Amino acid sequence: MASSQDESSGIDRRNFLRGVTLTGAAALTAPVVPAAAQTTADNTAANRTPPLPNLQAETQPPTADPVVQTSSGGDFMAEVLNALGIEYLAMNCASSFRGLHEAVLNHTNNKPEILTCPHEEIATSMAQGYAKIEGKPMGVICHGTVGLQHATMALYNSWCDRVPVYAMIGNIVEADKRAPGAEWVHSAIDPAALVRDFVKWDDQPASLQHFAESAVRAHKISLTPPMGPVLLSLDAELQENPIRDRNALRIPKITNVIPPVADGRGLEEAARMLAAAEHPVIVVDRMARSSAGMQALVELAETLQCAVVDQVGRLNFPSRHPLNQTWRRAAVLGQADVILAIEMNDLWGTLNFFADRIERTSHPFYKNNTKIITLGSRDLYMKANYQDFGRFNDVDLAIAGDGESSLPLLTERVKAFARSGRKSVFADRGKTLAQAHSATLEQLKTQATIGWDASPITTARLCAELYAQIKNDDWSLVGSAIRVNWPLQLWNFDKTYRWNGSSGGAGIGYNAPASAGAALANKKHGRLTVALQGDGDLMFVPSTLWTAAHHKIPILYVVHNNRAYHQEYMYLQAMAARHQRGLDKAHVGTTITNPNVDYATVAKGFGVHGEGPVTDPRELAGALSRALAVVRRGEPALVDVVTDPR
Amino acid sequence: MNTLMKLAAVALLAGVVGTSWSEEAPKGDAASGQRIYMAAGCFTCHGRVGQGGNFNFATPSLAHTVWPVEALRAFLRVGLNDMPAFSKEVLTDQQVADLHAFLQSLPGSRSPADFKLLNQ
Repeated sequence: MASSQDESSGIDRRNFLRGVTLTGAAALTAPVVPAAAQTTADNTAANRTPPLPNLQAETQPPTADPVVQTSSGGDFMAEVLNALGIEYLAMNCASSFRGLHEAVLNHTNNKPEILTCPHEEIATSMAQGYAKIEGKPMGVICHGTVGLQHATMALYNSWCDRVPVYAMIGNIVEADKRAPGAEWVHSAIDPAALVRDFVKWDDQPASLQHFAESAVRAHKISLTPPMGPVLLSLDAELQENPIRDRNALRIPKITNVIPPVADGRGLEEAARMLAAAEHPVIVVDRMARSSAGMQALVELAETLQCAVVDQVGRLNFPSRHPLNQTWRRAAVLGQADVILAIEMNDLWGTLNFFADRIERTSHPFYKNNTKIITLGSRDLYMKANYQDFGRFNDVDLAIAGDGESSLPLLTERVKAFARSGRKSVFADRGKTLAQAHSATLEQLKTQATIGWDASPITTARLCAELYAQIKNDDWSLVGSAIRVNWPLQLWNFDKTYRWNGSSGGAGIGYNAPASAGAALANKKHGRLTVALQGDGDLMFVPSTLWTAAHHKIPILYVVHNNRAYHQEYMYLQAMAARHQRGLDKAHVGTTITNPNVDYATVAKGFGVHGEGPVTDPRELAGALSRALAVVRRGEPALVDVVTDPR
Repeated sequence: MNTLMKLAAVALLAGVVGTSWSEEAPKGDAASGQRIYMAAGCFTCHGRVGQGGNFNFATPSLAHTVWPVEALRAFLRVGLNDMPAFSKEVLTDQQVADLHAFLQSLPGSRSPADFKLLNQ
C-alpha cells in the first residue's frame, strides 16, 4: 500500500540519499519554501484566502533527484535468505518491504519463491505447517505494525507449538525519512515489542552487515531446541538504498546448533529406574521431528516392552504398534511406577485428572509413589507472560536435552541394565499391553459402527471413507478439526509425516493455512496431503483457498461441517445446565446456520475444485474420489461434508 | 474400570442414594425424547444418534442404552466430570423418561467385522 502522500512530497523523499548512482545530476538549488509554510497563524477572515502560488517552487528546475540505482540493500538481503536455504517467502504485499520484495523478484529471480497470501495470519500459519513437515523455517514478511498485528496469533501458535518460523517486517526507523500519512502509522520505534513475549529472538539491524549477522543468528536460534519463531525488523531504507560496497559485506558461515544430547549420568539414572520398573510408561508430545525420532522411541519402548502414550503434538509412535496405549492413558498411568515424559509441554495436564465443574477439582492419574522422569528441551527456554507452560508438576528426575537426540543413548543404557534377567518380565508385560491395545481398538471400532448410515454423517464414517481412498498413497494428514481421534484409531499412522500436530496455541484460523503450508512441503516429496477442516476455522481464513489454487498446492480439504463453533456450543450448554435457566438457547452465538454456508461454492469462487455439501454417507465415496483425482494431478480440492458434531 | 463403567457405577449409586428406586418412573415417549435430545443439546456431546464423541473427555455412546431410567435420571441430576448436572428445573422427570425411551430406541453398535471400511 503506497501512501498517496508519496507522490506529492517528492522534494523530501526519503530516497534522496547517500551512495546513489546519479545519472544526469544537476546542480542543487536553494531550499524551496513550501506554500503551506507561507501562511501565518493569524486566522482572520482576510488571511483565509487561498495562498498565492509559490512561484519559485513551480518554475524552478527539479532538484537533483537521482532516478536510478544499480543495487539495493534488498539484493543483499535476498542473497542472505537464499544462503539460509529459505525456499519460500509468504507475504501479503506491503510498501514497507517493497525494497526486499522487488529484490527477491528481480535480483534473485523469485527465490525464495514468493507465496501470495491474502492475510498475514495465513502467511504465518503456512510457515508453521510447512516447518513441521520440512524441518526448516519458511520466510514470512509482513507490513510494519498492521501486518504484524495480523500475524500475531499465528506467531503465538508457532511459539506454543515449538515451530521455527522466520518472520520479518518492514519498518521506517528514521522519523525524518517517513512520508506523511501511512508511513508514520506503519512505523514503530520497537515493532517487535508486540510479539516479544512469544518469539525466541528479534532484532532490527542498522546496517546490511548487521542484517547478515542477525539473519544467520535468527535462523540458528529458531532451529535450536526448543525451536520457535524469530523476527527481524527491516528498515525500509536499508532495503531500498544502494549498496555502498558489496565486497565489504559478507554472509557469515551458516552453522546450525547440533541439538543437545542429555547428560550421560542423568540418562544412566533414568535407564536404571526404567529397567527396574514393573510398569514403566512413556508419555511423549513434541519429540519426533524425523523418522529417526520415531524409530528411536520404538526401539526404547520395545526394549522395555512398556506402554507408550502419544499426545501427538508430533506423530511420535506408530498408531498400530501394540505398545501404543494412547487410548488407555488413565489406565496405564494409574498402574505406572515409573513415568518417562519426553518433550512434554503440559506435563501436569497429561498426568492429572481435572474436572471443569463449579468447584474445579483435580487429582493425579498416577500413584503417590510413582517416580517421574522428564527428558526434553522445554526447561531450557521459557518466558513469563503467556501461560502456555501449564501447571507445575512434581518430578523426581529432570533431564535437560533434546528428546530425539538423547533417546538412542538412553536406549543403549536401558539395554545394559536389562541384561540381568529382566527380559522375560519385559516380554510378559509386552504381551499384556498388546492384548489391551487390540481390545481397545476393537472397542473403538465397535463404537464407530453406531450411526454408520446416519445423516448428518458421523465423523467415524467420514474418516473410514477417507482412509479407504488414500491408504494406498503415501498420505499425510496435516490438519484435523476432530481432535484426530478417529483417524488415529482407524488409520495406520506409521511415519512421522502422517501427522504433524495441531496448532499449539489453539488459535482458530490455523488449520486451513497451516495445512496448505504442510501440503507445499509434502508436494516435492510426492505425498498426498489431506486435511480435516473445521468449518469454523475455515470461516476465519477462507481466502487460504485462493492461495492454494494460485500456487497449485495439492491438498484435499475435507470440511467437517458441523455448522457450529461446536466446542463453544458444548460449553454454553454446560453453563445453561449449571445455571438452570433453560437449555434451548445455547446455539445462539455458537452455530453457523441461517444461512448455511456452501463451502463447495466458496471453494469454486477461489478457483478450487469443490464437492458438496454431502449429506448422504453413500455419496461420500464418490465425492472424495472425484476430489482426490484433482489433488493427484497437483491441484487443491475441497469436499464439504455435513457432519454430526464430533 | 473404563469411563463408561465409572459413569454407570456413579449413576447407579446416585440412583440408590439420591432417588428412591421405588418411585414410579413416568412412562417415556421416544418421539418426545428425540425432540428434547436435540433441543436440550444432548446431541452436542453424545451425537445425534447417540454414538458418543469427545469433549474434554470422551463422551460415551448412549445409543440403545442398557441403563434403567432411574439410573439415567439419577446420573443426570449429578453429572460427572465435565458432564453438567441437569436439575428438575431444566429437565423434568417426564422429560428424562422421554429421553430414556428415545435412547433405547436408537440402534446400538454392531460387529465391526461386518464393516470392510473398519478393517483396513
